[in-house]
Amino acid sequence: MPGAVLSLIGTPPLLGVRSRPRRIGRRTLPALAIALAALAGLGVPRAAAQESDSIRIETLERQVAGLQAQLDSLRGAAPDAERLDELRRQIDAISRQIESLQLGQDVVEARDGRFGLGPAASKVYQVERGVSIGGYGEMLYRNYSKTRQDGSASGEKDQLDFLRGVFYVGYKFNDRILFNSEIELEHAATSNSGSVSLEFAYLDFFFTSWLGARGGLVLIPMGFLNELHEPPIYLGTERPETERLIIPTTWRENGVGVFGETGGFAFRGFVVNSFDAVGGGTSNAKGFNAEGLRDGRQKGSKAVIENVAGVARLDYVGQRGATIGLSAFYGNTGQGNTDPAGQVIAAPTFIGEVHAEYRSRGWWLRGLYTLSTVGDVPQLNAARNLTGAESIGERLTGWYLEAGYDVLRSVATTHQLIPYLRYEQLNTQDQVPAGFSANPANDQTITTVGAMWKPIANISVKADYQIRTNGARTGVDRLNLNLGYLF
Amino acid sequence: MVLTATVTGAAWGQGVVTQEEALAQAVPGAIWDRRTAYLSEQDLVAIAGLAHPTAAHDRPVVSYYLACQNGIASHVAYFEAHPVRTLPEVLMVVVGPDGRVERVAVLKFSEPPEYRAPEGWLRQFVDHGLDDALSLKQDIDGMTGATLTANAVTDAVRRLLALHAHLDPFETGAGGAAP
Repeated sequence: MPGAVLSLIGTPPLLGVRSRPRRIGRRTLPALAIALAALAGLGVPRAAAQESDSIRIETLERQVAGLQAQLDSLRGAAPDAERLDELRRQIDAISRQIESLQLGQDVVEARDGRFGLGPAASKVYQVERGVSIGGYGEMLYRNYSKTRQDGSASGEKDQLDFLRGVFYVGYKFNDRILFNSEIELEHAATSNSGSVSLEFAYLDFFFTSWLGARGGLVLIPMGFLNELHEPPIYLGTERPETERLIIPTTWRENGVGVFGETGGFAFRGFVVNSFDAVGGGTSNAKGFNAEGLRDGRQKGSKAVIENVAGVARLDYVGQRGATIGLSAFYGNTGQGNTDPAGQVIAAPTFIGEVHAEYRSRGWWLRGLYTLSTVGDVPQLNAARNLTGAESIGERLTGWYLEAGYDVLRSVATTHQLIPYLRYEQLNTQDQVPAGFSANPANDQTITTVGAMWKPIANISVKADYQIRTNGARTGVDRLNLNLGYLF
Repeated sequence: MVLTATVTGAAWGQGVVTQEEALAQAVPGAIWDRRTAYLSEQDLVAIAGLAHPTAAHDRPVVSYYLACQNGIASHVAYFEAHPVRTLPEVLMVVVGPDGRVERVAVLKFSEPPEYRAPEGWLRQFVDHGLDDALSLKQDIDGMTGATLTANAVTDAVRRLLALHAHLDPFETGAGGAAP
């Protein structure tokens, strides 16, 4: 039998595990030597590298020194049964302490000392506090076509951008209250077009096994990418435009709400400060425009809250590997602004979307459709001094389908190589008010073909080619390369 | 199942299931024999070969639990702590006499709960042995939004099955041979 095995017996049953007398034979001494060597170089998990564990390790080291001395005294002599039993008992105790350091005292130690008594559901005790740190980021190279769709010069210059570096910090106050946050650095420096911002910062309160509450700067739970946008977990060097212009990823606002999961359904619902469709003044938003809703985000920064909005999401997650769901946002977005005639603008805005994903057995399949409507657009246009084809869209639509497959699936390696294809259509001026016109450049079709290589699950290298066309024939194709990570 | 209720209950409240509770619920009525293996460098190398391409178990001292029912060794339970992002989770993997997984349970999860593996996701490991299919690329489905957890759990199951294959605890029966 490989390895030396000791059945730990003859000692008080710390776990209530059966104790059965057994004598240690000659193989005990090599086992002891291995145990002592192991203890001397004990590899303590990072999480255990805390002050309390350090003290315990020092205690173990002292015990090891004592055992070593006794072991030395036994060498060259016939083993004494009583002393061997004593050594065995001590090794048992030390191995339990090692296990406790590795797994955590709260897991290893018996709760009530009576084996076999099941705990009550949701029993909570021995809270572990601590800071959790993580992050993700991506660097993007864009090589633009020198010509536009209509053959004219594009005028675009190729670009290599460290698009974003995001650092996650979480803190667990106790078993029922958590803090989560992400701090994002966009475009590497703030001196030019870059920025530093909170992507989210909220407190979670856990009430029951299926229901919690969240408050703070929260991610709006719509679409795929607004909540989950680490580069290694989605296809494409760039996020779909539908989830950038209509669902304005990364969309976060201040608010409170609930979340949970029960019966195979996951849900989230929040009340938040609404968009600011007009922007300007004391608002940090710029307001809606012909390109979409993105500039109506207030991002939690001195948000005007003359109007609140509600957003809710429901996903069926009961089928492993598959997710299907929908979400909706509704609220006035005028934020107390008035048009040139002095009339307060309501600008009720709705965004709805349905989505489905299947990720299993090498397949990465995803689809999303979204529709948005904006009311009082003539008033908004007047307030924002938008004319003609600059009009905000009364209706915005977008959808995409994408598919990828890991061609290394059957190879015994951590590497994944996933060729993919995405087809996307969107129009941020699908409908405009009478008296205005739509810019055909906002009626876009984007076909993306490429591949993602993942040497390990946390790292992605992507390359794709995007064919970008629009109704104005001004689309510019591009070849993109993306290096992404998450930890 | 009591364990299901317990683990699910702990999922949002971040409660802890002890080893004692997890063992009792994994094989009700069994008597568990705690054992410790002391692994040599050669043992660790051999285990690494079995675990490939997953990073192998690298600790020389490992405890495991042998279940005995009616005098017959029926299951072996292994426990492992590993980091998910920054903070650890503790898993129990129970292996049957055929070397296949019978249960995977999360005893403690210290990262934010949205990253925790749900019970339904963990059930896909049941009946898996140590083969190429035990991989996120093959039979194991990932978790949307919890990539690190999916990796950590899958690697741990593969790692512990490799340890199990090397130790072969059933060879000695419930009583076990004197070391």
